[in-house]
Amino acid sequence: MADASPSSEPSGPVVFLKSELTRRSLLAGAWGAFGAFLVASAGGAARFMLPNVLYEPSQRFKMGKVKDFPLGVTINKEQRVWVVRDEKGVYALWARCTHLGCTPNWFPAEVRFKCPCHGSNYNLDGDVIAGPAPKPLWRCAVDVTPEGDLVVDKSQMENRPGFRDRGSFHVMA
Amino acid sequence: MNIPTLKEAKDLLVNSQVWRSMFRGGTWKDTSRDRAQHILGNVWLHLHPARIRQRAVRFTYTWGLGGLSFGLFMILVVTGVLLMFYYRPAVELAYRDMKDLEFAVSLGMFLRNLHRWSAHAMVLLVILHMVRVFLTGAYKTPREFNWGVGVVLLVLTLFLSFTGYLLPWDQLAIWAVTVGTNMASSTPLMGAEGPFSNLVGVTASNDARFALLGGTTVGANTLLRFYVLHCVAVPVLAGILMIVHFWRIRKDGFSAAPLPGDAPEKKMEVWPNLVVREYLGAILMLAFLIGWSVLVNAPLEELANSGVTPNPSKAPWYFLGLQELLVYFDPWLAGVLLPGVITMGLMAIPYLDPDPKNGVGFYSLKERPFANSVFLFGIVMWFVLIVIGTFMRGPNWAFYWPWESWDVHNKVPPPRTWNLIMVDFSELSGHFFTSQKVPGLRVAGPLGVATAFAAAGALFGAYFGGGLLFPKLVKGDWPLKKSIGLTAMGSVLVGVLAKAAHAFLFRFDFISKNIPHFGLTEISYLAFFLFVVLVMAFILPQKFLRKSTLSPLQYGTTMMLLLMMLGVVLKMAARLGFNIKYLFSLPGLNLNI
Ligand code: HEM
Ligand code: FES
Repeated sequence: MADASPSSEPSGPVVFLKSELTRRSLLAGAWGAFGAFLVASAGGAARFMLPNVLYEPSQRFKMGKVKDFPLGVTINKEQRVWVVRDEKGVYALWARCTHLGCTPNWFPAEVRFKCPCHGSNYNLDGDVIAGPAPKPLWRCAVDVTPEGDLVVDKSQMENRPGFRDRGSFHVMA
Repeated sequence: MNIPTLKEAKDLLVNSQVWRSMFRGGTWKDTSRDRAQHILGNVWLHLHPARIRQRAVRFTYTWGLGGLSFGLFMILVVTGVLLMFYYRPAVELAYRDMKDLEFAVSLGMFLRNLHRWSAHAMVLLVILHMVRVFLTGAYKTPREFNWGVGVVLLVLTLFLSFTGYLLPWDQLAIWAVTVGTNMASSTPLMGAEGPFSNLVGVTASNDARFALLGGTTVGANTLLRFYVLHCVAVPVLAGILMIVHFWRIRKDGFSAAPLPGDAPEKKMEVWPNLVVREYLGAILMLAFLIGWSVLVNAPLEELANSGVTPNPSKAPWYFLGLQELLVYFDPWLAGVLLPGVITMGLMAIPYLDPDPKNGVGFYSLKERPFANSVFLFGIVMWFVLIVIGTFMRGPNWAFYWPWESWDVHNKVPPPRTWNLIMVDFSELSGHFFTSQKVPGLRVAGPLGVATAFAAAGALFGAYFGGGLLFPKLVKGDWPLKKSIGLTAMGSVLVGVLAKAAHAFLFRFDFISKNIPHFGLTEISYLAFFLFVVLVMAFILPQKFLRKSTLSPLQYGTTMMLLLMMLGVVLKMAARLGFNIKYLFSLPGLNLNI
C-alpha cells in the first residue's frame, strides 16, 4: 500500500468494513494475541520446570525395632532423623536446621544440637536456644508396627508445643 | 639462492594473495590509513574505535580491569568446554569424573585448577572494575544504562560461580547450594516456608526452591539443572550482555575525556597501541594463572553426603559476606531482600546523581566526597563481612579471633541471646527484652500485640524518619573535621552515660539477665558504632546533600539506601556487642530483624 499514509481514510469497497474492523482494532487484537502468547509461553515454561515425578527416597520408612532405641538420642544419618527416647516415649526429630537446612550435630555433653552453618543451637525438645533459626526443629510422625518396628513419616510434621508432644508425634513404646 | 631476512619473509607473507584475502585492504604500507582499516575491517577488532584518546590508554586509568575480566571469561569458556569432555552431570558419576580428571586424565588436574582459579579471579576483577568505574564517575550520563548492564553482569558472574560450585558433587558443593536455595524457600508468597505462601497454595513441591532444585532436596535433578545453567544458559546470557556492554562503551564514548586546562588533544592509533597493551595484559594474566594452577590444586572435598554437614560449612569467599549476614537477619531478609535491594540500589546510582558533569573521567575523590564515601563504605563493609566469615568463624559458626585455635571443646557455648521486641500471635502477646525461652516483660491480649507493634513502629520510624529529616532540618555549616571530632567525643560520652544507666537499671531482671556486663568492651562497641553511623548518616549528608539539587525522590532513595546499609552495621553491633538476636521478631511472618 504505497499510497496509504497512516491517517488516510480507506475509501471505496473497504468502507463497509470500517465499523467492524479498523486497522487500529486489528493491530490491538494482534498485539493482544501476541501478549497472550507470551504470557502462555512464560507460564508453560514455568510449569515445565516443575517436575511431576520425583525419584527421591520415600518419606515413610522403617527404622528398626523400637525397643532397641535407648534413652537419649539415636542418630540416623541415612534417613537424616534423630530418634529421641524420653521417660514418656519416643519421638523423631528431622535433622534439618530450620534456618537454612544444614544438618546439625549432636553434642551430648552440652545436651544441644549445634548447626555448623550459622550457629543455631537446639535443645532436646527441638527448641532454638541460640543462633538465627526462626522455628523449632520439626518432628516427624512416628508409628509402631505390630512387629514392633518404628516407622517414621516425614510427610507429616509438627513443631508447635502442645501438638508436637501428642498423638502420632510422640508415641509410648 | 639467498635466504630472506625475517623482515623480508614477513613482507612476503603479509603481501601474499592468501594473507591479503583474509585481511583485505591491499598492500600493507603501514600507513595511518592501513592501521585504521585493520581495526575497522576486522570483525574481532572493530568494537574498538580506530583512534583513541591518549588518556584512555593509560593503564592507571582502567587498570585494564574490564578487559581482563573479559579475558578471564574467555579462559573460563575454553577450559570449561575442555572439562565438559570428561564430566557427566549425574549423581553417581559426577564425583568420580572429578577424581578421574584429577588423577587419570592428562592435564585434567591442571585444567580444573585453571578453571577454578580463573573463576575466583574473575569475580574479584569484576568487583574491582566496578569500583574503578565508580571512582572515575564513569557511570554518569550518558553511561547510566551501561552501568546497569554492568550490574547485571556482576550478578551473572556470581551466579555462574554459584551454579559451578555444585558440579563437583562434593560436600562443599551440596551444602553451599542447600543453604543458598533454602533462602528462596523462606521468601514470602514464593517460598513454602515463607509467610503467606499457604494462602496462595505454594507448597514444598511447587515453590521457588522446587523450581530451582527440580525436587525438594539437592539431588539428581538439581545437578542436571545447575549443569545446564552453568554450561549453557548463563554463559550465553552473559556473553550477549558483554556484547551489549562493549557496544555501549563505543556508543556512549569512553569516559576519559580531556580535562579542562589540558593541552589540545592528540589521538592515538588503536592498532597497534591499544591492541598491544590488551594482548600484553592478557598474556601476563594467563601466565600468572598458569603458574598458580601448576602450584596450587583446587580443593575437592569428600563425596556429597546429605546426612553430614561439614563443620564449619563455608560458602566460597565471595558469598561469605552474605552467609555472615544470615547470622543477623531472617534468611529471606538476608538472602533475598537485602541482595535485591543492593542490586537495585547499585543500578539506581546513576539516576541519584545530582551533578552528571562533576568529576567524570578521573579519580574524583575530592570532587565527590559524599558519593565516594558512601560507595566505598559499602564495598569495605562487604569485604569486612567476608573477612569475618573467612577468618573469624570456626566450628558451629562460633566467633573466633584469628589467633584463637578452633577447638570445639574448649569453646564456651555461645552467649544467651535475646530479643528486644517480640510479637507472638499464637499467644496473642507482645514480649519485650525477651529471649525465646525466658520471657521478659509480657503484654498479653490484642492490646499487647498492638503495644509491641507500636513500639517497633516507633523504633524503626525514629531511625528512618530521623535519618531522613535531620540532615535537611539541621541548618548550619561547620568544618568537617570539627564535626567529626565532636561526634567522636559525643559518642564516647553516650557510651559512658549508657554505662551509668546500665548500673542504675541493673536492679531490673530483664537488664541484669540480658546484659550481665557493661564494661570497657561494651562502651567501645557502643561508642564506635554510634560514631560510624552518625558520621555516615548525619554529618556527611547534612554537609553535602542538604543544599544539593536532588529531587525529594532522589534524596529519599539515597537516604533510605544509606540508612539500610548502616542499619545492617547497627544490627551487627547489637548482636556482637549486646547479644541482641533480633530487634524486632515476628516469627509468624518470618519478620526477624
Ligand atoms: C563480566 C563482567 C564485565 C566485563 C567483561 C566488563 C568489561 C568492560 C570493558 C572491557 C570496559 C572498557 C574499559 C575498562 O576496561 O575499564 C568496560 C567499561 C565499563 N564498564 Fe564494564 N565489564 C564488566 C562488568 C561491569 C560492572 C559490574 C559494571 C558496573 C556495575 C560495569 C560498568 C562499566 C561502565 C559504566 C563502563 C564504561 C566506563 C568508561 O566509559 O569509563 N562493567 N567494561
Ligand atoms: S542452616 Fe543451621 S544455622 Fe543456618
